[in-house]
Amino acid sequence: MTPWLNIQNLGFSRDKRKILESISMDIHPGDLTLLTGHNGSGKTTLLRIMAGLLKPDSGRFSLEGKTQPNWHRSRSLLRRNVCYLHQRPYLFDGSVSDNISYGLRCQKLDMRQIEARVMDALVNASLEHLSGRNSRELSGGEQQRVAIVRAQVLNPRLMLLDEPLANMDKQSRRQCLSMINQLHRKQVSVILTSHEPQQGELDITRHLHLYQGILSQKEPPQI
Amino acid sequence: MEPLSEASYRALYLLVSGDSALWAIIWISFSVSLRAVLFAAPFALLTAFALAYLKFPGRRLVIALFNTALSIPAVVVGLTLYLLLSRAGPLGDWRLLFTQDAMIIGQFVLCFPILVAMGHSALQASDRRIWETALTLGADPWRAMLTVVHEARFGLIAALVAGFGRIIAEVGSSMMVGGNILNVTRNIPTAIALETSRGSFAQGIALGVVLLLLALTLNLTLTGIQGRGDIRP
Repeated sequence: MTPWLNIQNLGFSRDKRKILESISMDIHPGDLTLLTGHNGSGKTTLLRIMAGLLKPDSGRFSLEGKTQPNWHRSRSLLRRNVCYLHQRPYLFDGSVSDNISYGLRCQKLDMRQIEARVMDALVNASLEHLSGRNSRELSGGEQQRVAIVRAQVLNPRLMLLDEPLANMDKQSRRQCLSMINQLHRKQVSVILTSHEPQQGELDITRHLHLYQGILSQKEPPQI
Repeated sequence: MEPLSEASYRALYLLVSGDSALWAIIWISFSVSLRAVLFAAPFALLTAFALAYLKFPGRRLVIALFNTALSIPAVVVGLTLYLLLSRAGPLGDWRLLFTQDAMIIGQFVLCFPILVAMGHSALQASDRRIWETALTLGADPWRAMLTVVHEARFGLIAALVAGFGRIIAEVGSSMMVGGNILNVTRNIPTAIALETSRGSFAQGIALGVVLLLLALTLNLTLTGIQGRGDIRP
């Protein structure tokens, strides 16, 4: 099966230090990939490149079998299809609904359609009670969940979650895990990073490990 | 020279009685300074954004130059503009000397570095995740920039308030390129200077009270804005 996204020989250096070296990988629809590696191993850098936020020094991207001729073209396609969530997601000043509708407003959809999609997304995530709340009043766990919904509502092909479960209490963690599993069931590809494999209830399909900028595959653990 | 108590009493009377000459001066001051700051704001904002978010050779030097320009004396700006705009100067054909437009140009030059330096600080201090989050949610760079500006708005409004405060009280540039013409280019600081030199203090005191009230209002506004800006956890 042709992967949705194929990355070949991706390399990235900073201050003459190699951060990523010859990274190649395939992403298929519905993949739930766990990316591990110690602090500073380049996990976040890799995600930021895949989200089109950071230009690699080398590498080639193929989307749906079509190799993109240059970084400019790859970046524009990646930004259209990939959503990246920071370890501590940033919610814009405003209500939860304003935040969730941000990406839809960028697509210049009509207001009624936006409102309907926002409400739908909030109900699906059982967050409708937060709709009018100011994003700055939310707990860390709530912010993480709102950020996932804000990305999910745009129907991305790939979601990149940078340490989504870090510093979360048990309940928030459970709710977050359930949202990630739901994405996986909807055939959204997900890559989530962690500095260590953890026990839990995620349906991981693949476990990749970054060590000194080199990517290797491991047996999928349960997170 | 009239006694201070009498001058103060007359100043109060001028203010509350709605003296047309006094209020015309106040109006000219506000109108000129507001236009100067509004013209400068978009260019200054774009410059501040470029300095905070783009990497280009000489960026640090440009920042240093703007910081240096913060302390440029108003009278030097006035002198330079006077030489440029006088009939014999390279821009003499524009016939701008001793007009409100010339005053606006002078005040534009004075407030631009303040807006850039303070705007740059506000944008530099803003969270980098704003820009990246906006892009990853499908915003184009222009929209992402507007989002960053929105999130840093308290710092940017503070820059506008500080810039306005600086130019409404400056006397050097307005005096030299405005010429202090009654009902045309006479603003609060130039009127105070003139009335004081004539030994007629009432109008000077009244205008001084207006400037002091303005300074108080601007400071209260700034404090309020800064208070609202620091509630992010």
